Amino acid sequence: MIPNPLALIAEITHRCPLHCVYCSNPLELAAANSELATQEWIDAFQQSGKLGMLHAHFTGGEPLARPDLTELIAGARAAGLYTNLITSGLGLAEARLQALVEAGLDHIQLSFQDSREDAANWIAGAKAHAHKIELSRLIRRHKIAFTVNLVIHRQNIDHVGEMIAFIEQLAPDRMEIAHTQYYGWALKNRAALLPTRAQLDKAVEAVSAAEKRLAGRIRIDFVVPDYYARFPKACMGGWGRRLMLINPSGKVLPCHAAEVIPGLAFENVREQTLEFIWRESASFQRFRGEEWMPEPCRTCDQRTEDFGGCRCQALLLAGDATATDPACSLAPAHYIVEAALAEANSSGAISQPVPAGSFVQLQQRAGGLWSYRINPE
Amino acid sequence: MAPPEDTSQPRLAAGCRWGPEQKAGGEENRMILFPEGAIKLQGTGRQVLERCDGQRTFAEIIAELQSQFADADPTKIRADISQFLEQLRHKRIVDY
Repeated sequence: MIPNPLALIAEITHRCPLHCVYCSNPLELAAANSELATQEWIDAFQQSGKLGMLHAHFTGGEPLARPDLTELIAGARAAGLYTNLITSGLGLAEARLQALVEAGLDHIQLSFQDSREDAANWIAGAKAHAHKIELSRLIRRHKIAFTVNLVIHRQNIDHVGEMIAFIEQLAPDRMEIAHTQYYGWALKNRAALLPTRAQLDKAVEAVSAAEKRLAGRIRIDFVVPDYYARFPKACMGGWGRRLMLINPSGKVLPCHAAEVIPGLAFENVREQTLEFIWRESASFQRFRGEEWMPEPCRTCDQRTEDFGGCRCQALLLAGDATATDPACSLAPAHYIVEAALAEANSSGAISQPVPAGSFVQLQQRAGGLWSYRINPE
Repeated sequence: MAPPEDTSQPRLAAGCRWGPEQKAGGEENRMILFPEGAIKLQGTGRQVLERCDGQRTFAEIIAELQSQFADADPTKIRADISQFLEQLRHKRIVDY
């Protein structure tokens, strides 16, 4: 018997007012007119609760771009789910926040791009930073869990200590400092985002000092870049093992990026139940368990820890979704990651921290550096 | 970070709450839900956390548990509960 999934990732829209260069959304975004209707989502939450799921993570795009978000949160709560809103905060002011909390919002996870306003807006491709600070103060007046999320990369990692001190002032319960994961737009922009080994070592030290200092007050969750790890990440806690993701148009996926894998067809929640998809669908069974594993995974002690790593990364880097994740130091295709690291650490690499100039100057300079995430039709 | 004091009033941290009750193998479990996770509580752990209501003091919680488990070493009960709450505070599940 397959254990129940634990959480639903509800990617309710791909529309977003930000254009972050590290966005992990697929390059092919779901069009606005294909989005599931309110009642279709509420029905999916009911099914999720009955399947034994505990959490619903609302993400996007920007979930606030859906005018029915309050109704959706209430629907998820009514289905017995713990509700988490992952947001840029754009489109949120006091009245709507109050309504969301009253609808049963448990946790809000607010993203920041940097501690320095110009740099933050430059990375987001939008003037969002000042609003986020304002919003943090409003959030703290409500009795909900508050996490600040910060994505780090080559351009901002050198002042991670300064960024932690900045977040500390916002008084969250928790901060998540996550290194960029190279999918979607982030993979496209990897050369500008992958840090050097020296940058990473310094950041690990700074975060560990902050963890000690803030213990019992603010919890820090730190995600290091898998390119520099010895073993791959246990992506999604294993394929079809813990999580289900529903994308804006209702496709049910084992992870955010799964659609890049050729030859896999994904069911739609408009046509099939979540229970059927979880237990029976070919897509969720494709990489579940160990049957699919190649060597060296198949006989590796780590296979129950990392489940062979990430299938999408294997496809994106090695061109083969059934390969060992190239981030693994034991993978036959590890040379691909090593080559990316060699480039990131070479003297000819893209220069590090761009000194903060004006927003306009930074945007002009960004022209050749990276592509901003666009919006779906 | 300090352990709770006698006058501390432990409570669930913001955004942490009890989930639905689940019956498994005759034993009733309750889950504490929190951002990005959940823990299943049974037995003593559950009894301690159900008393973390922001009203009872740490000393009162201990006294209640000590009288309930009169056979157990009261010093050990105190030490165990103190450590349990300190760990949960570290995870930002409990405040005191």
